[in-house]
Amino acid sequence: MTAKTLAPPRSFRAHRRRRARWGLALSAGLTASVAVVFVFSLSFGSVTVAPTDVILALIGAPAEKWHTFIVQDLRLPRAITAPLVGAALGASGAIFQRLLRNPLASPDFLGVSSGANVAVVAGFALWNLTGYQLSLAAILGGFATAAGIHLLAGRGGLSGHRFILVGIGVSALMASATSYLLARSTVSDAKAAMSWLIGSVGMAKQADIIVLAVALAVLLPASALLGRRLRVLELGDGTATALGASVRRDRAILILAAVILVALATAAAGPIAFVALMAGPISARLSGGAGESVFRAACAGAFLVQLSDLAAQHLLATPISTGVVTGFVGAPYIAWIIVRANRSGAA
Amino acid sequence: MRRRTLLSSLTALTAAALVLTGCGAKAKDDPSPAGGAWSYTAGDGKTYTADKTPKRIIAHAYAAKALMEFGIKPVGIYADGKVGADVGLKGVDFTGVTILGEEWGKIDAEKAVTLAPDLIVADWWPVEKVYSGQEEGVEDSAKKLAELADVVGPAQGDSIVGVIEGYAKLAESLGADPSVIAAARGKFEEAKTRFQAATAAKPNLTALAIGPYDNTYAIAVPKYAPELLDFQKWGLKVIDPQKPDPEFPYWESLSFENADKYQPDVLLFDDRNHPGNQEKLAAQPIAKSIKAYAAGAMTTWPAYWLHTYSDYTAQLDRLTAFIQGADENIGD
Amino acid sequence: MVATAEKAPPGTTAVKRIGLGGGLLIALGAVAVLAFLSIALGSRSVTLQTVLDAFFDPTATSPDLTVIRDMRVPRTLLAIVVGTALGLGGTLLQGVARNPLADPGIMGINSGAALAIVGGIMLIGVQSAAGYVWFAFAGAGIATVLVYGLAATGRDGATPVKLALAGAAVTAVFGSVTSAIVLSNVDALNEMRFWQVGALSGRFMPVFWQLAPFLVIASLIALFAGRPLNTLALGDDVARALGQPVALTRTVLFALIAVLCGAATAAAGPIAFLGLMVPHLARFICGPDYRWILPYSALLGPVLLLACDIAGRVVVAPGELQVGVVIGVVGAPVFIALARFRRLVQL
Repeated sequence: MTAKTLAPPRSFRAHRRRRARWGLALSAGLTASVAVVFVFSLSFGSVTVAPTDVILALIGAPAEKWHTFIVQDLRLPRAITAPLVGAALGASGAIFQRLLRNPLASPDFLGVSSGANVAVVAGFALWNLTGYQLSLAAILGGFATAAGIHLLAGRGGLSGHRFILVGIGVSALMASATSYLLARSTVSDAKAAMSWLIGSVGMAKQADIIVLAVALAVLLPASALLGRRLRVLELGDGTATALGASVRRDRAILILAAVILVALATAAAGPIAFVALMAGPISARLSGGAGESVFRAACAGAFLVQLSDLAAQHLLATPISTGVVTGFVGAPYIAWIIVRANRSGAA
Repeated sequence: MRRRTLLSSLTALTAAALVLTGCGAKAKDDPSPAGGAWSYTAGDGKTYTADKTPKRIIAHAYAAKALMEFGIKPVGIYADGKVGADVGLKGVDFTGVTILGEEWGKIDAEKAVTLAPDLIVADWWPVEKVYSGQEEGVEDSAKKLAELADVVGPAQGDSIVGVIEGYAKLAESLGADPSVIAAARGKFEEAKTRFQAATAAKPNLTALAIGPYDNTYAIAVPKYAPELLDFQKWGLKVIDPQKPDPEFPYWESLSFENADKYQPDVLLFDDRNHPGNQEKLAAQPIAKSIKAYAAGAMTTWPAYWLHTYSDYTAQLDRLTAFIQGADENIGD
Repeated sequence: MVATAEKAPPGTTAVKRIGLGGGLLIALGAVAVLAFLSIALGSRSVTLQTVLDAFFDPTATSPDLTVIRDMRVPRTLLAIVVGTALGLGGTLLQGVARNPLADPGIMGINSGAALAIVGGIMLIGVQSAAGYVWFAFAGAGIATVLVYGLAATGRDGATPVKLALAGAAVTAVFGSVTSAIVLSNVDALNEMRFWQVGALSGRFMPVFWQLAPFLVIASLIALFAGRPLNTLALGDDVARALGQPVALTRTVLFALIAVLCGAATAAAGPIAFLGLMVPHLARFICGPDYRWILPYSALLGPVLLLACDIAGRVVVAPGELQVGVVIGVVGAPVFIALARFRRLVQL
């Protein structure tokens, strides 16, 4: 094995090059898809603006004056939020799944997103926090929950699927707390409360979008770089240490990044179900031989949320929350995990 | 369904194109008052001016109703609920008017921009310092409506009459016929005199304005309900609840266990969700301990929606008849 | 699963039997005391004398007496029958699924009932609890079959993790559809938003009389399920060898669960975790014999529900906290502790 790493045979090196090229092409393709859907999401609405006109309006040379208002003022915030939130969730889910070596280890099941959600709701219901303060509250809530689960895991860590059960319990606890806070809050508009509990990219405020964009710009490249080391980590702690990687530090940084990303996504759009769960595996499946990558998982997440939000806005007569659609899509995926686990005989 | 939205947006676009091209020419034909320059001092205290009288108006549905009574028809409206189900919009003919929203906080600004409005009309709320449709908590796209044109309107205050007169003034500035306004005002004044006579004949009659829902017996605070303030001014003793809710002082909320705290001679139900709210109270066993309820002494009150003299006249006449038949010895 | 004991559950000695019987009496006493407190406490303060008058002086009338007789008594009675139904339902579920984490809330049974009720309101305009209940039965039944069927595929049967996951998946789909309907329909929202949280207040004698027959009859039948559950606990093969028609028993028990949980949900909204906690509490007191667990569950259910309902009234007086929220706050940590510390993966 060591000999192999030191002097890879010709064919192996060629294979690796091919894999890298395929990975690059795939990343480019995913990015392009996200861009295309982005333009389309700016195009549809109660008034349709042709995609070419959308681009003209974006670069400041609109075909009709009112195109600018519709495209830039009305639709742009939501159209930007969807891929940002999706990318944050996708990256964060992929990191959790790889570090915990479990396809179910997404923030949905770990309770991290519900922890962030409680903090946000408490922030605006109890202390009238706004803007950046809410983002901060979300991060604190996410970390508090993550720390709580870590403590519950104890020294040996939570073995097998047990931490998923713990996570489901934590999520339920947080859900109770959230519905209590919403019931007590002065903003007791039932409908607003319900959309908040489900999550919708239409809710994002400007401050949320800015914070999320900055966080992604910093954390996504950082975790993508660390992702190379992640592959090493995947060999297991023992092997990785032997190879000299400072496993503990990398792990801590990655978890930090993942929690921040999911917390900020939640602060912007509420809990959008199952995107973090699905994005990683989807991109991995697409990647085939190219291996997994945090960046591609982020792209897949962005794409998922974009499509879900388009469906949420236009499929029914009345627009619904984005989280309703992702929940509807994600559940069959869980069912598939269960059935597949059965077939391979290891649940 | 997809096709329908596509088609309708196409027609909207065509209409918008027609409007955008034809607008300038059409304005010249209109006989604009006072040489065409327009100015109006709105409820927010600012004076708004324009080179020519605004023609393409988007209005909150209640404001639209007020303007339409005086002959000014908007091109688009937005309502707080389903237009057909809103008691405050009963009998209004909105054919030819584009409906931009039928839910509080949601206004289709995309459609609004294709209407090319030159004025937006809504009530000004002096406490929140905001126009209807721009309140805190509405969707961002609703707030964007204000970027399309100036938002104006009279201030909500301590009397419905003030609001209606505000709309009368606005309508006049927009070209309404003053004699139409005077006729409506005259009929209302007569109804008001009859109402005052009825309350003067029953000086001890007390009333409680309520809006029971889910788990709560909510009592309206007259201080924040201009029509109830009017009734008080005109001789009806509408009870002021002792402990308005600290964060939302429009109501005092009691649990149903305490619903017998006030014992008026007559109950006035919020008519926006009547008879549902009366059924909610009827399902509560405590209802029989509220003497007015047990005696069947109850009717509705026009809650927070009056914007026209014709509506106010009809409501006053209805209440006058009710008061004439009421017993002032039921409550405590 | 008790190391798959080869013999029937340990026969109880006479002394132990007396002890357990005495325990049942104490539990019954607790129900009585809590029922009295539930009648005496509330947002309107009444004297002890008035409470006594309400029962011992049937001719007296006053607003105070109306509140006690017609408002607090029905609420208390409803809490008792719903508590019993959920306690028994949870016990049956854990017994028949041989799974210590089975709970009507976590397994998505409540969400099935909720969806069916919303559908009923939407499609047929159902208004009364008597109308709800049939939809609730159907929805609860479908969800039970779906979740258990999904989780039970494969060799190792319905493991705790698979059940929880299948429950999460089914809850997500049903929840998505429910929210889509509710968010786009104001009437359904108004009906639902109060019911959704799980509450006992505002439900009076008519609701009680409409649902009590189902709850009482199903509870009585459930009390006799001790022997078949004991046999099932030995595993399907042993049960079959002992002459038990396993498939038939399962079907009947699942039907009972659907009726108990469906009716309880129709009466009080979705209340999670009660069905989880009660059987564990009962098992802690009386050991693994279902002939004792069932009567204990039938009494401990109302004890917990009444206690949480009273707590909800006292903690945030003069306001009120819905009982579903209180139970969530109490129950989720129990769930987490069970998932964390019990050796359940073997069960």
